[in-house]
Amino acid sequence: MSANPDKEALIVRIAEIIIFELKLEDITPESFNPDLDLVDELGVDSMDLATVVLVLQDEYGITIDEDDYPKLSSIRLIAEYIRQKQAS
Amino acid sequence: MNTVSSLLDDSWRERYRRISALNIRSSIYDVTNQCNLRCRGCFFYSSREHEAASEEMDLQKWHEFVGNEKARGVNLAILIGGEPTLHLDRVAAFYQTMPTYCATNGQIKVPRDRFPDMMVGISLWGDEEDEKVLRGKNTFAVSSKNYEGDPYTYYLYTITPKQLGRIGQVIRKIDDAGLKVHLQLLTNDEQVDGYSWTEEKMRDVRLEMDEMLECYPQTVISCKYYHEIITTGKMMGRSFGWSECPSVTELLDSRNPRPKRLIRFTRWASDLKTQHRCCTSATRDCGTCKDGAAHMSWVMVNKREHLKSAKDLQNWIEVYEMFAKLYRFIPW
Repeated sequence: MSANPDKEALIVRIAEIIIFELKLEDITPESFNPDLDLVDELGVDSMDLATVVLVLQDEYGITIDEDDYPKLSSIRLIAEYIRQKQAS
Repeated sequence: MNTVSSLLDDSWRERYRRISALNIRSSIYDVTNQCNLRCRGCFFYSSREHEAASEEMDLQKWHEFVGNEKARGVNLAILIGGEPTLHLDRVAAFYQTMPTYCATNGQIKVPRDRFPDMMVGISLWGDEEDEKVLRGKNTFAVSSKNYEGDPYTYYLYTITPKQLGRIGQVIRKIDDAGLKVHLQLLTNDEQVDGYSWTEEKMRDVRLEMDEMLECYPQTVISCKYYHEIITTGKMMGRSFGWSECPSVTELLDSRNPRPKRLIRFTRWASDLKTQHRCCTSATRDCGTCKDGAAHMSWVMVNKREHLKSAKDLQNWIEVYEMFAKLYRFIPW
């Protein structure tokens, strides 16, 4: 995985991480709607998010503050957040 | 993959949205080591937690501590003891800062001019006969007079195995006093003879709890899924116990793998420094623990597990609503 992947590849990779870490069933990274609200629609809670965040931090070399969790409510928003962090 | 929208119709989705916005972060505080009763089966004394720490006597330190707790993200203070109403200045330190629930035996009336909308939960361990055996007196006679018709008070009725077939009499008296009631089950920490549960008694009490909910829907704050969980100790095929309990103090939680748990939850002793292991006592066998709040929280922290079907998710919503009603985050 490149440190600066294009946006679509980044979205698919984040979906892959979420599916694996949260043990989601009946969904593939490609079919995961990147705009689906993870909290409201999938029931993802702050513990789930913390698990995913640990992997994202390692993989993309960024630090994600717990105060930023509300910004990470969909795969697309997570992707944008990562790109902004990497650019800053 | 199931989503909330795929499982719920509009009215359930609205109920889901209402509770999803709450984000309740509770912690539990021993206000004092003293009590005006000595109940057989009270975990606080049977596990000698009243000797775990000396009380902080400086009221200013209580205020500073509560401010720090708020800064830590706590938005619901659950006050226990000992008997919190023996130290109302300490109770006020919490009440002035964040939503506060005060557990009490109801023998001292919380002055409503000072605490107009503080939630009060009065402990009750059965009818007059049981109360005399376990608590040395009929506490209901006093507490029901102190709090009659109070809109911010409910009874926390701990049902004992001896109460089977007689729960309705107690609920009726509570209803007559114009109060609400929530049901939980005795954990017989002190092994009082005749007060331990069997599987058969658990089945019977579940049916009776369900019946009470149907007979007194405006009085009993509960739901059938909670009755199932607390009487069977099972949820989605898993068993309640140490490896599953969500109500463990965060800094003392070394479990691996770590289960779903209450974020930032801590149970503080009255020295404001010592932390207890969990919401009850460290000497309790978690496999037999029947703590109602722990079982409710167990359901609440396992939201995604309940996205298996519409019924499962509706059950989860009802338990969350029950919890939110008990602490008045949503109306009764």
